[in-house]
Amino acid sequence: MLFNSYSFIFGFLPAVLIGFYVLGSRRRDWALLWLTAASLLFYAWWRPINVLLIAPSILINYSLARALEQTGEAKPAFARTILIAGIVFNLCFLGYFKYLNFAESALNDAFGTGFVLTQLILPLGISFITFQKIAFLVDVQAGRVSRFSLADYGLFVLFFPQLIAGPIVHYREMMPQFRAVPCRYDPENVAVGISLFFFGLAKKVILADPMSQLVAPLYARAAAGGAQSMTEAWIAALGFTLQIYFDFSGYSDMALGLARFFGIKLPVNFNSPLQATSIIDFWLRWHVSLTRFLTAYIYNPLTLNLTRKRLAAGKPIFGGRNTSVPAFLNLLAMPTILTMLVSGIWHGAGYTYILWGLLHGVLLCINHAWRLIRPRIWPNAKVYSARMAPVGFLLTFLSVVAAMVMFRAPTLSATLMLWKGMVGAYGVTLPAAVFSRLGPIAGWLSAIGVQPAWTSGSLLLTAVVRIGCLLAIALLMPNTLRMLAAFEPAIGVKPDRTPSRVARLFTWAPDGAWALGLACIALAGILSLGQLSEFLYWQF
Amino acid sequence: MDNGHHFIRTWFVALCALAGLVVALNLLVDPYDVFGTRRIAGLSLLKPGAKNHALLTKTYQEARAHPVTVLIGSSSTHIGIDAAAPEWPGPMRPVYNYGIPGGAGVSMRLDTLREAIFNGPLKNAVVFLDFQDFFSINRPGDGRSEDDRRYHLLPDGRPNPDRALQIANDMFLSLATMGSLVDSLKTIALQRDPTLLNLAPDGSSNEADFSNAFRTDGMHDLFAQKDDYEVERAERLRRSMAGWQGALPDLNVVRAIIALARANHVKLTLVLTPHHADALEIYWRMGLWPRIEQLKTELAGLVAEQGGDVPLWDFLNYDAFNTEGVPAAEDRRTPTQWYWEPSHFKKQLGAIVIQRMFGTDAPRFGAVLTPENVGAVNQLVRDHRQSRVCGHERPALLTSLARPLPDGCAMPAMARGPT
Repeated sequence: MLFNSYSFIFGFLPAVLIGFYVLGSRRRDWALLWLTAASLLFYAWWRPINVLLIAPSILINYSLARALEQTGEAKPAFARTILIAGIVFNLCFLGYFKYLNFAESALNDAFGTGFVLTQLILPLGISFITFQKIAFLVDVQAGRVSRFSLADYGLFVLFFPQLIAGPIVHYREMMPQFRAVPCRYDPENVAVGISLFFFGLAKKVILADPMSQLVAPLYARAAAGGAQSMTEAWIAALGFTLQIYFDFSGYSDMALGLARFFGIKLPVNFNSPLQATSIIDFWLRWHVSLTRFLTAYIYNPLTLNLTRKRLAAGKPIFGGRNTSVPAFLNLLAMPTILTMLVSGIWHGAGYTYILWGLLHGVLLCINHAWRLIRPRIWPNAKVYSARMAPVGFLLTFLSVVAAMVMFRAPTLSATLMLWKGMVGAYGVTLPAAVFSRLGPIAGWLSAIGVQPAWTSGSLLLTAVVRIGCLLAIALLMPNTLRMLAAFEPAIGVKPDRTPSRVARLFTWAPDGAWALGLACIALAGILSLGQLSEFLYWQF
Repeated sequence: MDNGHHFIRTWFVALCALAGLVVALNLLVDPYDVFGTRRIAGLSLLKPGAKNHALLTKTYQEARAHPVTVLIGSSSTHIGIDAAAPEWPGPMRPVYNYGIPGGAGVSMRLDTLREAIFNGPLKNAVVFLDFQDFFSINRPGDGRSEDDRRYHLLPDGRPNPDRALQIANDMFLSLATMGSLVDSLKTIALQRDPTLLNLAPDGSSNEADFSNAFRTDGMHDLFAQKDDYEVERAERLRRSMAGWQGALPDLNVVRAIIALARANHVKLTLVLTPHHADALEIYWRMGLWPRIEQLKTELAGLVAEQGGDVPLWDFLNYDAFNTEGVPAAEDRRTPTQWYWEPSHFKKQLGAIVIQRMFGTDAPRFGAVLTPENVGAVNQLVRDHRQSRVCGHERPALLTSLARPLPDGCAMPAMARGPT
């Protein structure tokens, strides 16, 4: 079931909320059980067989976690074996459904083997659920989680607002909330939930989806080997970046809002990433919960292990500005690239995703290296920040946009076609109708190589206006977390101490003006539901 | 939060009130003419929003219009034939233009004719056939489109079980979507615009799209752009037909159209839609002219085989109308007289087509094909081409193709002869 569907908004959600509040007014555990059952129904709605696939996995993970808890400190080696078995089981489960076909196809490509590719049913949200389950097992083994029942664990894994596309949550940040939540109708939670949900819906159906219609033909043409002029290639690149930006931002807001209806706060997952001034900053704002997971469960253990090995070997380790090149490569570059490789693979079974992850890994390494080198070149950090922040923003923005082409393009050759188009390898064109209206400017444009083409002038105008508006919203406006900061829309979000004038203007309050404004936004979102479209991150 | 209750109550009441207003506005303006709400001058007389929902609009309009004559075809019929033209003989009125922009494929002609017959009381049907539709062997998928689900009957004549749901969906989409709201507001805001596109209750268009494009871009650009498109299409069709043997695809659908009309006592007229010589030249120069001759021959044979009481009009010739010159690129003011671009003729020519087929005293233009005369007609077209195109001093017909086509003044060898 899609969050942006009539059946969800007018059927499933009201029914679940009414049941939750009515049962919660009698017994909390009934309300939580109802919520788990509703989440299972939500999961089964698309393909009932999904439940048959995910339920045994939940039971096995729960049993392993129980075993880990009971073995605990008494038999650390045995506990470690159980943990490894659990991780391997989860990765195999994910690998079988998500990567088997890709692995077979890669082997066929590389060695000419004759594996026959079969269409497997990919359980919804399997990548998110798998990471969540792995994190749970690691936390149990580390003693960070204790005292849990099957009902608790089931609710933690299945809680429908974050089930399909995150955020990837930790047991220790969710269960204390579920244990404390009164399970009753709370006007503040509902008001905040309504606002977050409908802000998110509007982002998805009004801002993101129309962009898809604009860019899809351009990527299809690139995939078919068609060259794109510079104008079209940039529309494709910027258009998709903004489409996925508002799609994911919208989903994240809707997830926060839905959880809030039940009195639950989810962690921050999306925090205006296009405003980032470095690629490190970008990954602290884009899909925050995934970055957090990868850092905690892959990057940190890897770095720790490598550091120990270097120390044991008597080699220098990471030492701030005085870090040696081998130490940088060994302790930072390699773990970073490996972590981002996992991130790429996690996003999808395809070469383009893997290379996208590697590209971001390389960009992160360059950023880290610059952070080490910069103080020697430009010692005054304050002046550097003030002067170079716009440059950092521009470089980050261009890197992200260029990398997004790889994320969206179906093949590597299509990516290359578009990249070449972006640097003008296939010329620069303008629609003939636009060209003919430019008067003398058309002559100057011709002189520098801009050519008229039989492409639609109104389509170009639509693209330019849409991209301009969406960029302005993404770059200049406060996000929903900031707008609702006074009501802690996500875990740990607090109001700014010195908000800007723009931020003050957009500060949400439970008053009549916001209620009216939000009614308009909600209506616009609901009226735009005519064409159903999946969230881009649901495919992962 | 004390204000929480107040916020939720205000929000909910405002949301319901606004939703009610939107539904009421859409019903009053009826931007797609689905409900047949009375058109109000200054508010909803013109229906520009119907442009992008032609099949939706026309299916409902036709059911309300109860025409005696229906015109079936694609965008060229939609644009070029006026259902209210004075040339229509009295007994054939009222006429409804069921031409569907973008309505490619002979099957769609059959579907719309079946629907028009169901709605009744139909006496005449004029079915315009585009020759390009017979050169594609890529059949559409098995899945039924939203438009198919709207018809009363299934292709086999049984009642359509999906119709009720589709009608409910149409009502909902026309009343409670952002698209319909935007189109309602546009309809109101643009009523005073003299260049506004309109879809009349008889299904005819006012040609505003083309006249606006002419005003801004000139005739040359309209032709040049469509010439390029037509070259691409011809190339695609040539690939599609390479190696095709036997009768052309979709002739069976024409047979079904004739059978359907006969079974329902509807007088049928088949028409090979007029095209500008630019379009004909593209197909000639790309080696597809033998296929066009094959089409004419097979259609004439088919009509005769079905009893010969269905006139088959052929307007695919090089004549005084379609060989009119196209103004030069820099001339954005001079209009053409008969054609908007290679595939779309103007209503002036449409009037002559009507007069030629159903009136008297019309210019000699087009011919009724029969198995007996089709060979001679084909030869005549070649002769006309020779005299009007080859070796002629006036500028080339094709205005400014991105890829020039080789001169084709010699009759190309037929890849496969007509069967």
